[in-house]
Amino acid sequence: MRPLILIFALLHTNAALAQGWGNVAKQQEDKGFSWTDPLWPSFWMAWTPATFALFCGLFGAIAVIGILEGVRYRDGLERKGILGLTTTLGDRLFISLLGTAYIFLAWLGLVGQPLWWPLAIAVAWGIFVFRKV
Amino acid sequence: MRTENQRAWFFVLPVLLLVAFNALVPIITVVNYSVQETFGNNVFFWQGLDWFEQILRSDRFHAALGRQFLFTFLILIIEVPLGIVVALSMPRKGFWVPICLVTMALPMLIPWNVVGSMWNIFTLPNIGLLGYFMNDVLGINYDMTQQPFSAWVTIVVMDVWHWTSLVVLLSYAGLVSIPDAYYQAAKIDGASPWKVFRYIQLPKMKTVLTIAVLLRFMDSFNIYTEPFVLTGGGPGNSTTLLSIDLVKIALGQFDLGPAAAMSLIYFAITLLVSWLFYTLMTKDDAK
Repeated sequence: MRPLILIFALLHTNAALAQGWGNVAKQQEDKGFSWTDPLWPSFWMAWTPATFALFCGLFGAIAVIGILEGVRYRDGLERKGILGLTTTLGDRLFISLLGTAYIFLAWLGLVGQPLWWPLAIAVAWGIFVFRKV
Repeated sequence: MRTENQRAWFFVLPVLLLVAFNALVPIITVVNYSVQETFGNNVFFWQGLDWFEQILRSDRFHAALGRQFLFTFLILIIEVPLGIVVALSMPRKGFWVPICLVTMALPMLIPWNVVGSMWNIFTLPNIGLLGYFMNDVLGINYDMTQQPFSAWVTIVVMDVWHWTSLVVLLSYAGLVSIPDAYYQAAKIDGASPWKVFRYIQLPKMKTVLTIAVLLRFMDSFNIYTEPFVLTGGGPGNSTTLLSIDLVKIALGQFDLGPAAAMSLIYFAITLLVSWLFYTLMTKDDAK
């Protein structure tokens, strides 16, 4: 039993193993840009380029919808959709984002990675929400 | 043509800044943590969505989620009708109004950890007043430190004691705003008390009840302090609600990645249920 636990403990540190214990305290070479490396290692929010891009997309979408509602369509294109809800552009963005989160979570829980199929479903869901809801 | 005064935005700016620092920045940090692994010292390793997969498939999470929904369901199904009944039986005018209002407000003034300690001392089987009364006077075998059922009854009763007042006060505010003319008209038509409640009082209380249900849902779904102080999540894991489990993972085991993933799932559930409640309860108004 004990060797098993040890193996599991070692497996758990695969991130450290990937770097290699022999390289501990050695100067790391610059491997070029990676989406998953720390973005600003000395800063405290643990940013990576991938999560940074995610938030740029999220706030970008909110900004675009906000500007559209503030300047172009002052009524937010309000309408009563097929779910019987009265929604504006902002509501539709909220519903599509929340739905997207649940599509990804459901896929992760029921099927697992990779996530290309739920991505397609989420895009379809977003189009459906903006067209019909 | 510009008809609105855009300078009003400057008055909202301080609030926006405050919200940015006490809500937005922490949530963004949690999202960043949820896809990485750390062993401390501000060093992070990319983990992708593994933590989400692990949490979503863990029995421990399912069990805590189930307990959380059961707790919130019990709280809502007891507190909302009870609060309405208490509000209906409170006097509308006269000497007793301020006394009733202050009595109702008292439980809400007590800090949450003090509520937990009070109920802990109150219900301990040997030295607590209630514990002693149940066991030695009534002869009911009651021990919230050993029996899961007793522990559940205790945390539910504690929450009802602490928060029914909120529903009462909000419902009462809705009730006193109904003009006497409505009641007079009902009296002339010979409406029964049930009809008065169903067609006059309930519709008038709807807005405040929406707020009451939403607040009680969010509060009870995110509850931590009171059950933690009272039972510590025990006996065993029987009262380990989601937030208690989350703190165990985050601070007890220092698994920041899985804890971050779990708190995002938790957040998504709270957001969806709150949105559903709000949308369904205000659906008829927006026409």
